[in-house]
Amino acid sequence: MKQRELFLLGNTVDELGGVAGWTHQMARLFTGRGHSVHVIGVHEAELKMPLPDNQGYPVTSLYPNHPRTARRISGVQRLNPAARRQEAARVADKKRAVAQLGGLLEGARHGSIVIATQVWPMEWLREVDTSHLRIVGMSHESFAYSRACHRYHWIKRHYPHVDRWLALTQEDADIWIHEGLQNVGHMPNALAHLPAVPSPRTEKVVASIGRLADQKGVDMLLDTWAEVAPFRPDWELRIHGAGADEPQLRAQCTELGLDGSVRWMGRTSDVPGVLAESSVFVQSSRGEGFPLALMEAMASAVPCAAFDCAPGVREIVRDGEDGLLAPAGDIDALADRLLRLTGNPRLRDDMGDRARVNVQRFSQEQVLDQWEELFELLER
Amino acid sequence: MSTADLFFVSVVLTCDAKTSAEAVGASVRSVLAQTLAGTEAALLGEPPEAAAALAAEHPHRVRIGPPRGTYVIPLAPGELLDRNAARNLHAAAVSTDADLVAGRWSRLTGKGRKEAVPAWQADLFARSRVLTDVGQAPELVTRDTLGAGLCVRRSKLDFTAGGLELALGAEKIALVPNLITTRRAAPDPLRDLPAAAAAQRRAAALLDDPAMRRAARGAFLADHVLPAVHALPGLGHGACATAVAELARTVAGLVDDADLAELPPLERVAVRLLADGDAEGVRRAAYALAHPGTVVSPLVHREGRVYWGPDHTTAAYDLTELGHQYRTPAEQRLLGRVTGCRREQGRLVVEGETALPFDASAYEKTTASLVFKVRDAGAATVTLPVDDVRVERNTLVWQARLPLTDGLRPRGIGDRVWDPTLCLVVDGEPAPPCDLFADKETVPGGSAALRGRPRLTRLTADTWQPYVTAKHHLAVTLLPRRKAARKANAAAHYLATFRPARVLKGMAKKLRKRRDVLHSQRFKLRVYRGLLSRLPARRGSVVFESHMGKCYGDSPRALYEELRARRARLRATWSYASSPQGFPADAKLVRRWSWPYLWALARAEWWVDNQGFPHALNKPGHTTYLQTWHGSAYKRMGYDEIRHKMQNAPQRTQLARAIDRFDHFLVRSEHDVRTLAHAYRIPEERLLRAGYPRNDRLVEARLRDEREGRFPRPALAGELGIPDHKTVVLYAPTFRGTPRNKKARLALDVREFAERFGDTHVLLVRAHYMETATLPATPPGAVIDVSAHHDVSEIQCLADVLITDYSSIMFDFALLDRPIIHFAPDLDAYAAERGSYFDLRSCSGGPVVETQEELLQTLAGLKKADGEWQQVRRQFAAKFGAYDDGHSARTVVDQLFSDRLGRKDRTR
Repeated sequence: MKQRELFLLGNTVDELGGVAGWTHQMARLFTGRGHSVHVIGVHEAELKMPLPDNQGYPVTSLYPNHPRTARRISGVQRLNPAARRQEAARVADKKRAVAQLGGLLEGARHGSIVIATQVWPMEWLREVDTSHLRIVGMSHESFAYSRACHRYHWIKRHYPHVDRWLALTQEDADIWIHEGLQNVGHMPNALAHLPAVPSPRTEKVVASIGRLADQKGVDMLLDTWAEVAPFRPDWELRIHGAGADEPQLRAQCTELGLDGSVRWMGRTSDVPGVLAESSVFVQSSRGEGFPLALMEAMASAVPCAAFDCAPGVREIVRDGEDGLLAPAGDIDALADRLLRLTGNPRLRDDMGDRARVNVQRFSQEQVLDQWEELFELLER
Repeated sequence: MSTADLFFVSVVLTCDAKTSAEAVGASVRSVLAQTLAGTEAALLGEPPEAAAALAAEHPHRVRIGPPRGTYVIPLAPGELLDRNAARNLHAAAVSTDADLVAGRWSRLTGKGRKEAVPAWQADLFARSRVLTDVGQAPELVTRDTLGAGLCVRRSKLDFTAGGLELALGAEKIALVPNLITTRRAAPDPLRDLPAAAAAQRRAAALLDDPAMRRAARGAFLADHVLPAVHALPGLGHGACATAVAELARTVAGLVDDADLAELPPLERVAVRLLADGDAEGVRRAAYALAHPGTVVSPLVHREGRVYWGPDHTTAAYDLTELGHQYRTPAEQRLLGRVTGCRREQGRLVVEGETALPFDASAYEKTTASLVFKVRDAGAATVTLPVDDVRVERNTLVWQARLPLTDGLRPRGIGDRVWDPTLCLVVDGEPAPPCDLFADKETVPGGSAALRGRPRLTRLTADTWQPYVTAKHHLAVTLLPRRKAARKANAAAHYLATFRPARVLKGMAKKLRKRRDVLHSQRFKLRVYRGLLSRLPARRGSVVFESHMGKCYGDSPRALYEELRARRARLRATWSYASSPQGFPADAKLVRRWSWPYLWALARAEWWVDNQGFPHALNKPGHTTYLQTWHGSAYKRMGYDEIRHKMQNAPQRTQLARAIDRFDHFLVRSEHDVRTLAHAYRIPEERLLRAGYPRNDRLVEARLRDEREGRFPRPALAGELGIPDHKTVVLYAPTFRGTPRNKKARLALDVREFAERFGDTHVLLVRAHYMETATLPATPPGAVIDVSAHHDVSEIQCLADVLITDYSSIMFDFALLDRPIIHFAPDLDAYAAERGSYFDLRSCSGGPVVETQEELLQTLAGLKKADGEWQQVRRQFAAKFGAYDDGHSARTVVDQLFSDRLGRKDRTR
């Protein structure tokens, strides 16, 4: 296989969780296949992820802290020397960062590949001479989620001209094509690892893993559980994760009279361990990209009930085969799915076992092969 | 196919002797610009000489000779490939192992460089997919999908074959949503029809599936024959006759009556006439297609049906559905066809004829005049007489000798184009004006020119010239023809376009832009928040709004009338959405989102509304907001709606902030408290258990019914022309959330209703206030559209029966204690999709029916069956309208406005 020079360019290189975690996972895998990888971030994060001392590939940040956002100085502000000084400093800083990035990319072999893992770094990349490189842009969220914020316009402006723009699923890719981008492909996230032993599914526990933030819809999960709990008095809902919304959610839980059947577990670092003690996994998000939590639950052979809130969810879970999906936001329907899974051990076992087999189509090996195919396509 | 695969993709351009060098050059350049580097251009046939130079310049990628790629993209010279076309097709072909990959293509629209993708491609290419059988996407063969934008595997398929053969030959077909080919030639229906007909004949021979053959025939009619019909009025009389004879030969055997029966009536007749070779008839039919509602032929009545003309009285020429038979002779919109136009003794002689429908003798006493209207410059009109009008068989023949020189005297600047229309007066009654349909062969232009005498001297222009407009109507225009006028016009043109004038124009444009910014909603919001909402309150001022300003009705109106009757010392302001017509004259009227509206809102002491003032406007501290709401809930609302649940946190906060503005919220039963108040999280202390003021009228009507009976009906019945002996049925379906600018399709077949009940019933149709409905033609007096009527409770008082699905009108109408029928064809689907607060079948105000037939039967047997429902209906009314006691308006006014009432009005 051909050995290539790859640059992974993201917002940060060391932020906890999310895309930075994905970046290092892929960097390790690419390095394992013999490619030479360089991970570049725009700035260093405040909440750092512990990185091993020697990853086997270089890591660079262009700024020590989050760079200042560009603000147009207009009207009376033009007379404000402090504002003008700040803006001049920002511009000079950016020039330096662009030069640094240019230096890193300049020596790369012809046909090397830059993967912009997030949208923002394009602000620097577009100012560098990349005529000898191929650029791949990526979105780690569903189209609907990009559409609802500023990133949509950013993508429409800066990404029609890159060599490939990657969505998470074919469905998202099709929507982007209808939006007028003609360079769209898709690439799923990879499942990090397959636990050696699947969950025995003996505990009467429903697990939920995710930040306690609005996007994860834990408020709707509590409403759902309020419909399930009276019928399943011996079952317990364990909510793993921490976040800013925790006090409100706990208050809501008390108000619904669910304190007896809901346990707040806090943040966990041992996801497979948590899943080994559960029999059903539930996800009630308002929006998702390509949710890792679902894949991990399936890898542990725990069947899932989830809101069908994004193409990524339908891509991972095949409704009725290896998990149950409910229309997004339909609490009655999600409660119904939970009642079906908690009430029928045979259904749980069948779906769980199938889930563990099916989810392996997103294994690291498979996804890496898809990347290699993409690199070949870009060379043709 | 012996050549080895040297390229991933070859783009094949097949040229002939007529192919131009530019077309080939443009196509080849689009190939060379492909992101897939392994793409070659292969030129077949007779490439122009310049192609050799291209091949020499790019020896590796341009070749004159057969293609060498694994996949082949056929491309017509002049068409362009999208930059990523080859890469997208190749990627899809490799990953799906398909023999044929197809994507979208766009073509020129004929207007400059504008391009468009045909609308039917939207559904076909909505998602990437792989087909193993053409039947999974019949449009691939029924329409011109594979005319461009595809690649085929060279080893498997012969790329020179037609799209139909390719689709049938491929084992696996992949469809991608990408745009592949652009700049296809603009469609020219008359030119393209022979090729399409040939393809159609092949399809008839090759397709086995009868359903697909039928679909192909339907698409042929819609995509090729009808556009050809539409293009005919542009041709002159003689050219049209030649073209129609040619087209009739082309489509011979391809048009059968079974397919025509699927078309709308006028389209059906037009295609039939085309197939008959009736040039004059098809030309008129085409005109009627472009101008709906126009009578273009001598229609005849035979046994209750209406036909195209006395010689065309078979089912294929049936036009009953258009409803012309329901209009009187003076109400018909006729067509004035110009048969002659010439200059004679200093006058413009225009001759024409008008086909008369049904009984021509009704038009015996007709007089006519030509009314000239100035185009795009005010409402000036000039009327000139038509000298000779007479009825010959079933046409009206007329001739006008127009003294344009002295009769038509415009200024000469800015009012040079005048459009004549023929205004008939039938038996003393004026008919709608008829446009003058003309063609270029009849209207000679220059040779019929007359002298013109504009009022601003003949330096502006000096000649009247008749011409035919783009919409095929006769018009006259004033032109500068003589030397003096030409020089003066050239000078004026220079003055208007030399550099200082351009600068001035630019400045004016900038100023207009500035002004638009000052009138933008964004700027208004800033001023409202920063300035207006901080102004002090104006004592006693109330702003009323009903359904976002769309009508003067509902509870705000009832409250307003109550306040006015009790002479409250208040300054009332009503907001309207588009037109102040129908709003009360004694209140101040402001347009929604106008500056006076914001001013009034900012300074008001009370806001009274039934749906919500704009969410972005925060309520000033001195204002009390009375939200009367517009109906009890059947479907889930507010935070119970999935739509709101799935919104992100900022969007939900925005809604919460808008709801938090309500100080008082009217409810009409405990059902409202459990549903609406809970769904919008309105705290208990803000609920006003007073009932809806709008329903006072209904309670009063019920009491009157019990006291005196139903007759005489309210005065509104006379206005709408409803006779006493007819039963009034109100049909009011709920809001379906159809996308904007689309008209709602009614679930009820109004025409069938009119046929069966027209003699005994009258149907009032009320579309939701957010929608409009188009009603088919029915006999006069059988169906009346009351959507535009301001106050729905007035209409309810008039109705004897209500037909609705789940609209909240059912809760109100039950107060009248008159029969209700729930006509809900999609009850289960609707309840599953939108969610409901209760089961309509087990708790309804009347029978729940699901088919039209059931509904009509229920309606017929209503008198007998209603006795059983009375008890149920009363319970229904009591459950959902417990607080509607007929004095809601008084209760609300007493509670909220008592300090603004006069002493003696305080306790009325």
